[in-house]
Amino acid sequence: MKAIEDAVRSDAPATRVVVVEDDQASADVLQRRLQANGMVVSVAHDGRRGIELVEELLPDLVLLDVMLPDTDGYDVCLRIKSNTTTSPIPVIFLSARGEVVDKVRGLSCGAADYITKPFQAAELLARIDAVLGQARNPRVPRLGRPIDRAPGERLVARVAIADAALREHVEQLLVSRFDLADETPDVVIVEGNAAIPAEVPEDVAVIRVSAGRTGNDGNEVIPVDAQLPRIVDLLVRERSLDHDLQAAAEALIVLASAIGSHDRPGAGHGERVASRAVQIGRALGLDESTRMTIRLGSLLRDVGNARLPGAILSKSGELSPEERTTLERHPILGEEILSGFKRLSGLLPIVRHHHERLDGTGYPDGLRAEQIPLEVRIVTVADRFEALLADRADRPAVSEAEAVRILQSAVARGELDAAVVAALATQVRTGGSR
Amino acid sequence: MTTSAPAHETDAERRHEHRFQVSESIARLVMRTTANNLPLSRDDRPYQWSTTTYCDTVAWSIFRAAQKGSAMQLRIREYHRTRPREVLNPGTAWIEFKDDEQDTSLKERFGVSMDVARSFLRGEAALPEQDHGLAERAAGLLRDGARPVAVTQYNRLAYNSLDSSLRITADHNLMYFALPWETRNDGDSEPSPLGSLLAMEPDVIVEMKWYGELPHWAVDLHAYLKESTREERPSKFIVAMRWLLGETDGTKKTKKK
Repeated sequence: MKAIEDAVRSDAPATRVVVVEDDQASADVLQRRLQANGMVVSVAHDGRRGIELVEELLPDLVLLDVMLPDTDGYDVCLRIKSNTTTSPIPVIFLSARGEVVDKVRGLSCGAADYITKPFQAAELLARIDAVLGQARNPRVPRLGRPIDRAPGERLVARVAIADAALREHVEQLLVSRFDLADETPDVVIVEGNAAIPAEVPEDVAVIRVSAGRTGNDGNEVIPVDAQLPRIVDLLVRERSLDHDLQAAAEALIVLASAIGSHDRPGAGHGERVASRAVQIGRALGLDESTRMTIRLGSLLRDVGNARLPGAILSKSGELSPEERTTLERHPILGEEILSGFKRLSGLLPIVRHHHERLDGTGYPDGLRAEQIPLEVRIVTVADRFEALLADRADRPAVSEAEAVRILQSAVARGELDAAVVAALATQVRTGGSR
Repeated sequence: MTTSAPAHETDAERRHEHRFQVSESIARLVMRTTANNLPLSRDDRPYQWSTTTYCDTVAWSIFRAAQKGSAMQLRIREYHRTRPREVLNPGTAWIEFKDDEQDTSLKERFGVSMDVARSFLRGEAALPEQDHGLAERAAGLLRDGARPVAVTQYNRLAYNSLDSSLRITADHNLMYFALPWETRNDGDSEPSPLGSLLAMEPDVIVEMKWYGELPHWAVDLHAYLKESTREERPSKFIVAMRWLLGETDGTKKTKKK
């Protein structure tokens, strides 16, 4: 615990290193040497503790001994590299085992380097620098196709740069694509780390530029050259699109939440499903954009209930066959409602198909296996899991472990995607928080 | 349809196959003895990563049959220097059919490009029919909806007799992964990301495969392994599927052979 506290207390942007070394004396020497070079070091003396530290601290680097009391370094390295959260963290093996097969085995497990003991401190530091340098590729603004804009749709840019020559240069570059004005800008251009003018509202895009080399201090700084107008245009457009999507989705989510208050599993179920589905998506390595689709799709999956009779939604007993048939139309009705929102077209498969099953016994279309997109399968599993955790009129809530067991039975029957349920089971087993 | 003849390897007849789960120290002794009697396999680079993607249907028909003691595995094998985090990567893939029975197995495999392997999995490419009829059975499984569902990765040390009558392997760092059901489009050639890590094997899996009679030293080695093994091992496929379906902790004991 002390190791975590030491690391968390440090606010400085120093390199954080976890050392996994069973020999106390060696660990002390290594820790002092790294600290003397400005690094924040946390030490574990066995593999289990080492993995805990790495998962807690998400360090910049792991230095790993091969021979450990409870397991070996290869096992620790494989566990680090198999976790989507920790896999980008570079690992360097430090070992007295210097045979070629040992090095090959270490590097094949995903290590960035393998250093044999005894080593020279200068060599160790040089290799650490090299590995960290590779791991810290500076972010480069993505380039896209130029956006053709009608004359009436020009954005307003405010160039808030103190240096007169640079300001004039930037304005010359932007004037062909933007209206330049200080009032109600869509985007504000500032130089490097300069302060943003106080009167600029928070929701206005701010883009930092530099006449020299791009910086690497955490802020994305764009060079002032012929590409500047295109990049600024792209970034503002992306931001605008995100805002539009959010706004449209938020309005609908308010509606869906209001409907959800009548929903059988109870209030707040939609938000819990969305949170759980996003977690599963992250565990399966889905990108942020897909996770956003999953989140919004989860929240809006039952929006079609708005067109169903309230008596069916609020009925606590068993539904008649006719009522069941009516209820099972809600995915189609939801799709009809959302199809009017062009920006939400990516959510439609989740809304329409979240009650489909891999074996083709679901509704409304009886899709089978590969016909059901992964995002949909994730929402389906999250929905069923969270429903099991809630009390209902016809049965009491079950524990998380029991809910996983019930879903695994559904996998065995061919209803749910085994890999999605496995990701959920791993979360539950390791106590993954929302 | 395939346009060029793929590389092809097959067992001449059913061969004995026994698996043992042993500690690292036992495995070192076993492999030292093995190395004194057999040459290192020329086709298996030491400590390269073997990645095996197993197929099954939504009703798990292959797994259920394997649990009863007789099933044909359909799988795609890849080899890499470092452990890949994706499967069905571009390059050479081995489409493997392995017909398991209680004590013996029969394996046939075809080395093809991954594009061909993908076409085969979609039921679009056929493989040349060989003596044992395994390719046709595999095509039937695919028609029944078999798709990639689980993955194993491990480092393998392999020793082979020159006449291939005896093969002894030791698998380290054995890992089991889930694989989300494929929804790729026909033209999609991107690798598939691995799903969750289901389990890691703490021990080493030693396998002995042979035709006919074992040589004297191998009989002794087999007896030593049988004494030293922690548990009788089901196949990696069965262990992976048990983990995937949450049916046991993955190592449910079976009756010793």
